[in-house]
Amino acid sequence: MLTLDLLINGLIIGVFYALMAIGLSLIFGILKVVNFAHGEFYMVGAYAYTLSALALGISPWVSLPFALLVGLLLGLVVERLLMRPLYSGYTSWGVMRDEYAVIVTFALSIFLINIVDKVVGPYAYKGPALIGISRITIGPLAISGHRLIAAMVAVTVIIVVALIIRYSFWGRQIQAVSQNRLGASLAGIDTAKASAIVFSLAGGLAAVSGALLANIFNPTPDVGVFPAIKSYVIVVLGGMGSVPGSIIASLILGVFESFGGVYISYQYRDTFGLFILILFLLFRPQGLFGEKAREV
Amino acid sequence: MKTGGHPSNRRLRIEFLVSLAILLAVAVLPAIVKNAYWQGVIVVSMYFAMLAIAWNILAGYTGQFSLAPATFGMIGAYSTGLLAYYYNTGFAIGISAAIIVSGLIGLVLGRIVLRLRGPYLALTTLSFAEIMRLVISNSIDFTRGDLGLNVPGIFQDRLPYYYMMVLVLLIVQVGLFYLLRSRAGLYLRAIRDDEIAAASRGVRIVYWKTFAFTLSAAICGLAGALYGHFAQFVSPELGLLQQTGVVISMVVIGGLGTMVGPLIGALLVYVASEFLRDVGNYQLVVFALLVIIFARFFRAGLWGILLALFGIRAPRPVAVAPAAE
Repeated sequence: MLTLDLLINGLIIGVFYALMAIGLSLIFGILKVVNFAHGEFYMVGAYAYTLSALALGISPWVSLPFALLVGLLLGLVVERLLMRPLYSGYTSWGVMRDEYAVIVTFALSIFLINIVDKVVGPYAYKGPALIGISRITIGPLAISGHRLIAAMVAVTVIIVVALIIRYSFWGRQIQAVSQNRLGASLAGIDTAKASAIVFSLAGGLAAVSGALLANIFNPTPDVGVFPAIKSYVIVVLGGMGSVPGSIIASLILGVFESFGGVYISYQYRDTFGLFILILFLLFRPQGLFGEKAREV
Repeated sequence: MKTGGHPSNRRLRIEFLVSLAILLAVAVLPAIVKNAYWQGVIVVSMYFAMLAIAWNILAGYTGQFSLAPATFGMIGAYSTGLLAYYYNTGFAIGISAAIIVSGLIGLVLGRIVLRLRGPYLALTTLSFAEIMRLVISNSIDFTRGDLGLNVPGIFQDRLPYYYMMVLVLLIVQVGLFYLLRSRAGLYLRAIRDDEIAAASRGVRIVYWKTFAFTLSAAICGLAGALYGHFAQFVSPELGLLQQTGVVISMVVIGGLGTMVGPLIGALLVYVASEFLRDVGNYQLVVFALLVIIFARFFRAGLWGILLALFGIRAPRPVAVAPAAE
C-alpha cells in the first residue's frame, strides 16, 4: 500500500505546487520575466490566513478569501510600482530589461522576508485547520482531513482560474498578450491592464496556496523560499508560459519527490527538482509541453 | 591596438584613479579607526567588495546575470578549509587551491550555461547555488555540515589581515583596469551590448563568455579563502542566497558596470549595515528597499549620481529595437 500512499500524497502536494506555478507561468507568459518574489506572495498569504484567524478569531473559511484578497492587492501594487518600466518606455529599457526584473524581484523578496521578520517576528505560527476531522479513511488510505479538504479547495480554484483564462473576455486578452504583446496592443488590447490582472492573479493564487498549506508548513518569514524554488522547476519543466504544462509538471514533480524521498535519498530530496531544472534548461528549454521559441 | 582616445577609456581611467584613491583612503583608515572591531568590519566589507567586483565583471561588463557569487566564495572558503582540516596544508597552498578549484567549477558552469540568457541564466545559477549549499550542508561526514569547519588563521593581529585585503583588492583592480582597456575588455562589453552583433564582427563569444565566468569565479574563490582564514571559520551559510542578495545590492547601489561602483557600494553598504545592526537589525530591510529604489529610479547608482554632479554623463545604454516576441 506504500506505493498508492506515496502516489496520492505526491498528487496532493502537486496540486498545491500547481496553485503557485500557474501564477509564475502566467507572469512569464505576459512579461517574459521570472518573479523571484513569488515565494513571498505565498508567505504573505500564509500569514494573512493564519494571523487573521488567530487574532480575530474568525473562521478559517473567512480567512481564506481574506488571504486571497491580500495576495491580489499585493500583486497589483507590485505590478504598478515595479513592473511598469518593463513595458512602458520600451526602447530605452530594452538593454538590461531582464536584469532589472531579476534585481527588483530578488530585492523585493529579501525586503518582504525581513520586514515580516521584524513586524511579525521570526517564530512559526500554526495555521488553523479547515476542518476538525484529523483523519479521513477512504478504502485502504488514511489522509488528514485538512489536507484532503485543502486539496479539494485548491483543485476548485485551479479549475475556476483555468476556465477564466480559457473562456472569459479578460482571459482571452491575457492569452493574446502573452502570444504577441505588440500584436495584441495593435488589436486594441490594453496590455498594461492585462499585465496588472496577471500579476494580481498570480499574487492571489500564491497567497491561497500559502494559506491552504499554513496548517502543514507553519508560516515563518522564509517559508516561501522552497515553494518558490519548486515553482521555478515546474515552470521550466512544463514549458515557461504554458498553464496546462505547469499543472501537469506540478503533479509530476509532487509524485517524483514523494517517491524519490523514499527510494532515492530523503536528505537530498530538495535537490532533485533543481537537477531536473538544470537538465531541462540545457537540453529541452521549451519544457515538456512548451513551444520552442523561434528567433527571427 | 591604441584605444587611448576613446571616450569610454577616458571614463575608465577616471574610474580607475578614483578607485585607487578610495583604496588609499582605506589603507590610511587604521590611523583613525583604532578599534579592532571596526577594523574587522572593514576587512569583511573588503571581502564583499571582492565578490562585488567579481560579480560586476560578469553582470556589469559581460551581461551574464549570475546568482552564484556567494556560492563561489563558499567554494573557495571550503577548498582551503578542507585542505587545512585534512592535510594541514599551509595557507599559501590552500588559497591557491581555492582559486583553482572555484575557477575550474566556474569554467564548467560557464561552459554549461553559455546559451542561456536573462531569466534562464538566473534560474540555472540559482539552482547551482542551492545544490552546492545543500550538498555541503548535507555531506556531514566530509564537511561537518552545518556545524562548519575551523580554519587556521594566518596572522595574530587584525592589521596584517587588513593590509592583505587592501593589497589583494589593489591587485584585482589594477588587473581589471588593464583587462578592460585591452581588446578583451572591448569584447566583453560588445557581448554585453549585443551578442549577435559582436559574433557577426568576429568576437569569439564562447571563449570570452567562458573566460569571464572563470575569472569571476576565481576571484570569488580567492575572496572566500581569504575570508575563511580571517574568520577562522567557514559554514554553508556563506553560500546563502541572501548573501548573493547582499552582493547584488552593493553593486546596484554603487553602480553596475563601473569600476568604482562595487567598491563604494560594498564599503558603504557593509559599514552602514553595522550601524543599522545596532539600531535593531534593519539592515536587510533598508538595503532591499534601497536596491529597489536605485534599480527603479537611479539606474547608474551612486557613482552615476556623483558623475552627473560633475557634469559627466553616465553611460547610456545602446537603444535597441523592441525584442521580437
